[in-house]
Amino acid sequence: MSARFPVITGLGIVTAAGCGVDEVWAAITSGTSGLKPLSLFQSPRYGQMLVGEIQHDLSELGAPLRASRSDKLGWLAAREAVQSSKINLQNCADRAGIVLGCSVGGSYDSEHFLTSLIKQGKIRARPTRFHECHSAVDLIANDFGLFGPGMTIATACSSGALAIATAAELIMAGEADVMLAGGADSLSLMTWGGFNALLLTDAAGCRPFDATRSGMTLGEGAAMLVIESEESAQKRGATILARLVGWGASCDAHHATAPHPEGAGALAAMQSALRRANLDAAAIDYVNAHGTGTRDNDLAEAKALKKLFGATVPPFSSTKRFFGHALAASGAIEAVLCVEALRRQELPPNPGFATPDAAIGLEPVTALRPSALTNVMSNSLGFGGNNAALIFSKPETAPRTRAPKPTPVVVAGLGVIGPGAVGSREIEPPLPPGKVFVHNCGPLADATTLTPNQRRRFSRLIQMALLTARRSHAPDPAQRVAVAIGTGMGCLDTAALFIENMIAKDEREPMPAQFPNSVHNAAAAQVAIDQGAHGMNSAPTCGDISFECALWQGISQLTIGEADCALTGAVDELNKYILGIGQRWGTWNEKIRPGEGAMVASLVRAENSATPLARVTAVRLGRWRKPFDSEREAGWIAAAVDLKSVAVILSGAGGWPELEEKYAFVAAALAARAGRPLEHQTYKQHCGEFHSASAFGFSVAVELARTRRQGVLLYTLSPRGGKALCCVQP
Amino acid sequence: MEISTTDIKEKIIASLNIQDITAGQIADDAPLFGAGGLGLDSIDALELVVMLEKNFGIVIKDMEEGRPAFQSVATLAAFVNAKRSV
Repeated sequence: MSARFPVITGLGIVTAAGCGVDEVWAAITSGTSGLKPLSLFQSPRYGQMLVGEIQHDLSELGAPLRASRSDKLGWLAAREAVQSSKINLQNCADRAGIVLGCSVGGSYDSEHFLTSLIKQGKIRARPTRFHECHSAVDLIANDFGLFGPGMTIATACSSGALAIATAAELIMAGEADVMLAGGADSLSLMTWGGFNALLLTDAAGCRPFDATRSGMTLGEGAAMLVIESEESAQKRGATILARLVGWGASCDAHHATAPHPEGAGALAAMQSALRRANLDAAAIDYVNAHGTGTRDNDLAEAKALKKLFGATVPPFSSTKRFFGHALAASGAIEAVLCVEALRRQELPPNPGFATPDAAIGLEPVTALRPSALTNVMSNSLGFGGNNAALIFSKPETAPRTRAPKPTPVVVAGLGVIGPGAVGSREIEPPLPPGKVFVHNCGPLADATTLTPNQRRRFSRLIQMALLTARRSHAPDPAQRVAVAIGTGMGCLDTAALFIENMIAKDEREPMPAQFPNSVHNAAAAQVAIDQGAHGMNSAPTCGDISFECALWQGISQLTIGEADCALTGAVDELNKYILGIGQRWGTWNEKIRPGEGAMVASLVRAENSATPLARVTAVRLGRWRKPFDSEREAGWIAAAVDLKSVAVILSGAGGWPELEEKYAFVAAALAARAGRPLEHQTYKQHCGEFHSASAFGFSVAVELARTRRQGVLLYTLSPRGGKALCCVQP
Repeated sequence: MEISTTDIKEKIIASLNIQDITAGQIADDAPLFGAGGLGLDSIDALELVVMLEKNFGIVIKDMEEGRPAFQSVATLAAFVNAKRSV
């Protein structure tokens, strides 16, 4: 088992302060900030703000052309990480995967579509091809040949750190030997306008922990780590840069944008990481703080540090004035800096700090200085109160991470909205008029049970998540609850409303309340607030396998003992752009109809449920190869699932014909292996086509297992390469 | 022309999408934020900042500046009238 400890063997980084690890560290050594006035796009209202923009031509650096700006940043960081690790990925392609934190996704590029539409009345749909957050994972996995688990996580500013934690978890669980893990986010009108509308920015650049601090500085960038099992690194004679010994996540469950005033969530994440690492707080030699420079964040984080470390808070710094706050990338960027700090035995400074704040009562490292470092910690605290902490140790230290204990997991409750009824919907302006057949879930019957603030403020998508979570689970203060709610397109209606308004009015009269509701983790974060769920909070956005990724994360919180209950599910809503752009591309017809729905399952350890609905006996994530090989797929499934216990294969269909054919071939190959007929059922004819439809499929699987007392295999393929399975047993 | 508290209430209801309460049900001196009043939060405060800019041309750059004005409908109306008479 010791061989499964995660170690770091490669690093890649792209920031406003430099591209490449050496360039970034040179900027840190010389104290050179990369913050400059914005040049990437016009900003009539906020153009004077400093920003952490990468001013290189990304294509000249070698990034692929057919990709969004976020994708390109992620790809560049991945290339450096893979090169520096000297790994030959072809030797381990099936055991190598990727987890990427990405919250802006292709928004910068799709905003060009909205600008043309609003300002010129022209439809230019091409920039939207890479809109979805998982686009970078598909690009990198395909280019570098990664066929193990592929996952994208969008928990705003903690995404990168949570991605690294999840990758480490996948390695420890034996799901992969090598993982690329990190984060990538580009600047975009949406985040630029959003943080400015929330009055969270400081025009002169952030001054973390300073008494006069008045806000954050937005940035962009990417960072990737090559994380391997120690065995894999040793076998190929790799240089181990550091150990990843501990990781933990939590949720404030307090507010959409403001941190818990006492830093309770930040403290819980750090404590969880220490538990995992079997370390005392006193063993931490340096903390790379989240330190955004906002009044509230820095004060709450300082309180958490003081609570954890008492009178002896170790040296700490926020490095955000070097490159700005790169949102989903920031946790990964700062993880790279932590590994470099360990390697070089130097403490990175906290530029922007000059005047101590009595309320904070702590002073960060002000100049780069040598220091003996054994264990260092990185904090990432995000919107929705989503927090994650990572602990890295010198490679010479003994492995000490607590291993997960595989635990039988059952479905204790289930809430579902769907399948939608077939109807038609008019495409709304400014898109060209048209009519599309849809599966619409109709009015939400129990929406009246929501609070007045939930009803007036939240979109249909968030309301669907709140209601299904409530139907699946009754809040119990004695339980530690984790939440993982995936989404394919997220709150696209809200995001579009926010950006359309920004573009149409040239940034006048922004809509501050819409911005926090437009992020992909808004549903998961609001469910946490509604349920008082302080455990890990995640929003996987992985296209058609978003639900299965959430399921994997939820179950893993139960097996590592950091949660007693995991609310796992997925949600997507019908939206004018899904209708309109799908119509433009000829996706929709009488058979392939866009749909919507939500499902949340309450999962607990088997011993904690007297009357479970069903058991979940396997979950596996991966990527399928081209050309598609149904024999190989059947082998991949049979390695995780005992076919003797399976009677029904359940897959999406009524979707793209090329997938339908693949499902049929795999079902036949599995029947051949089982040596008996297996029933093949499909579910998309009931619920329509949407990214989280497999969450509805899961509810069908549970119902079949429960009523027929038979095992059901849910198998999902994403057209862009992702695949997943889960097995549900009575 | 003086802005009345009723004007302010109607603008608040419209800008915050308040569904279950009419202008007549809001007391002039009831707290806008926290318990015992409209129950608004910090994000609503930002929407009120936009509402002031949109309807009255008043720009607030720092929430600390707006805090005393955002106590109740009465304080908000007084703030708007004071700013408009400058």
